[in-house]
Amino acid sequence: MLLEVLQGTEAGGFILIQDSVNYCGRHLLKSCINTALKREEVVHVLGFEVSQEELNDGLDKTSAQRLHFHNAYSDPLGWTGNSPFTVHQFTLEDIGTLLKQTPQAKAVTLVIDSLSWILRHHDPAAICQKLQALKKGGVVRAVIGLLHSDLHQRGTVGSICHLATSVITVAPGTRGLGAFAKITRRTKSGKLMQDEEIFSINEDLTVTIQSKRSHPGSTPMNTDESEVDPTANLTFNLRLSDTQREAKEKLPLPFVFSKEKKSALLHPGTGSGRILYEPDANDDYDQEDPDDDLDV
Amino acid sequence: MAAPKMSVGKPTADRLPCNTTSFQKKSRSKLVSIPGTRPSIQNGQLIVSTGVTSLDYVIGGGLAVGTLLLIEEDRYDSYSRMLLKYFLAEGVVCGHELYVASALDHPNDILQELPAPILDDIASPKTEDQAKSCDPESQDAMKIAWRYQHLPKVQTALASSSRFGHYYDVSKTMDPEFCQAARCHGFYLPEHSTAVTSPTATTPETYSSLLNNLQEVIHREGFDGTVPQTKSRNILRIGLHSLGSALWDDDLCCRETPSHGHALTTFLYGLRAMLRSSLSVAVVTVPSHLIQNRALMGNITRLCDTAIALESFRGSERETNPLYKDYHGLLDVRQLPYLNCLVCDLPDNKDLAFKLKRKQFSIEVGLCHHNNPLERVVT
Repeated sequence: MLLEVLQGTEAGGFILIQDSVNYCGRHLLKSCINTALKREEVVHVLGFEVSQEELNDGLDKTSAQRLHFHNAYSDPLGWTGNSPFTVHQFTLEDIGTLLKQTPQAKAVTLVIDSLSWILRHHDPAAICQKLQALKKGGVVRAVIGLLHSDLHQRGTVGSICHLATSVITVAPGTRGLGAFAKITRRTKSGKLMQDEEIFSINEDLTVTIQSKRSHPGSTPMNTDESEVDPTANLTFNLRLSDTQREAKEKLPLPFVFSKEKKSALLHPGTGSGRILYEPDANDDYDQEDPDDDLDV
Repeated sequence: MAAPKMSVGKPTADRLPCNTTSFQKKSRSKLVSIPGTRPSIQNGQLIVSTGVTSLDYVIGGGLAVGTLLLIEEDRYDSYSRMLLKYFLAEGVVCGHELYVASALDHPNDILQELPAPILDDIASPKTEDQAKSCDPESQDAMKIAWRYQHLPKVQTALASSSRFGHYYDVSKTMDPEFCQAARCHGFYLPEHSTAVTSPTATTPETYSSLLNNLQEVIHREGFDGTVPQTKSRNILRIGLHSLGSALWDDDLCCRETPSHGHALTTFLYGLRAMLRSSLSVAVVTVPSHLIQNRALMGNITRLCDTAIALESFRGSERETNPLYKDYHGLLDVRQLPYLNCLVCDLPDNKDLAFKLKRKQFSIEVGLCHHNNPLERVVT
């Protein structure tokens, strides 16, 4: 499912790549950017963590004019006073003006490298609202973000993951096979799909899936011991042969009535039983309900 | 020896085959008769159905008018959202007014996704006439217990015996004309938020704007009894989706020590006061799996009347557990209210598991304890 998530970004999608210190998710992020470029999309990158040269390294050179890097790496907090992009400019209006600088009518993919940087300088609730506005606003077609999950509290990471339509959590694979990815994807209809795969990234930033659904720490199923059948070695016979079963079913049960009597009993006719009561002088047959004078 | 009296002055109700008794309480109805409500058999409160008959049974017959139901969301908000939609769909079918507030989706989108009601009630037990018209040969399925052939099958899902709630088909959405016949009020947070909230604002203004809007709707439509009742009374069903999440400008879910820790609790307090003085019933969903502060979650639970928590097996290791393979998740009743009485009717068995089938959201008694029973606090 990893390839599907990387390939098809439906409108209003928010792909979150969650990594940790053990394995860097930036390679997968670059692979995402590459796939988007190959799909003839315009990609805007807000780069906080790495410089433009390092990010462009390995990307498809032919579509470089569709890639717009907004340099927030050199001066993210605006200390020099003339920074190209600061972290405080992460608002809907500023991003809108940024995207209007490059007049394109086609789909725009916004890549945020990384969300952790922005979360350190802004209120997480406000970031969630801005991401939701970006998702719904129609200004961008898809948002791809990188989040370092070990830098934030669990609640913050959980809140951002709750907003995302697809979450890819990467971890180092065992035995040097490649990296391990756990993908959770929510479709528009509300259906949830999950998958776990082992992948590796090639030189040209394409992803190859090596195997699926192999837990790094799970023990192999013990297929040696077969289940012991308790009905195997008994001194009495628990099964019936066919003739025995027929004979059993032919046996008339006690209290089995004939069909007419059964149907007569099942469908009682009218007047099968009535209670005739004539009150005599001593009976107090009062139609009134004594509870009537209660003011309830 | 008393004579068997016929019920005098009371129209003979449809004798449902699943009723064990035909007893009808004779009462001069001083209670308001609003469609879709009935008095509770436990404490006499006016109750409405949540839309899910199994859930009605679990919380004691239904939701009392003027109370608040808290649903703690499951991890991906699939089943809690479904319960909210059932609640709103029940309101449409009963003719109640709806009020939907959400920060994530537009209320109109939520209202378009409501499940379609099953109006011929296939899930109800068959009547005796239908049983008679069946071929008597085919009734030979029971050889020994043939006297019980015509009785309806015992339902393993929990449901009360009267037809108070309705059943819905999840695979179809409600007819738009049917949905538009009901009056709906919506509150979509991005449309109502103030222009720029200053960073020095003490509390998020989202909750107060929601509360003000709700109060205005209740007052304008006359649910709080201020408007003289020339028209017949109705119930307002309030559905608040995902309160406490980051989209409501509340960092309750993001931080362990939230800076506005009392915003949601203040809102719930005000909401409950408003509910008590009006003919309305509210369902609130909260993403409790994101809230790290358990004390705060306890406060939120105390401030609501009825509280249930959903835990879905999707994505957790319990999905592969063979005990749970028939179910979609676990349902925990955290709290039931004492409404004008000293004790409330607690359900016998607390291990409840739910399964979302196409035509029914069934809640059944589960198989084993999933929590340490000593940790559970019974209210």
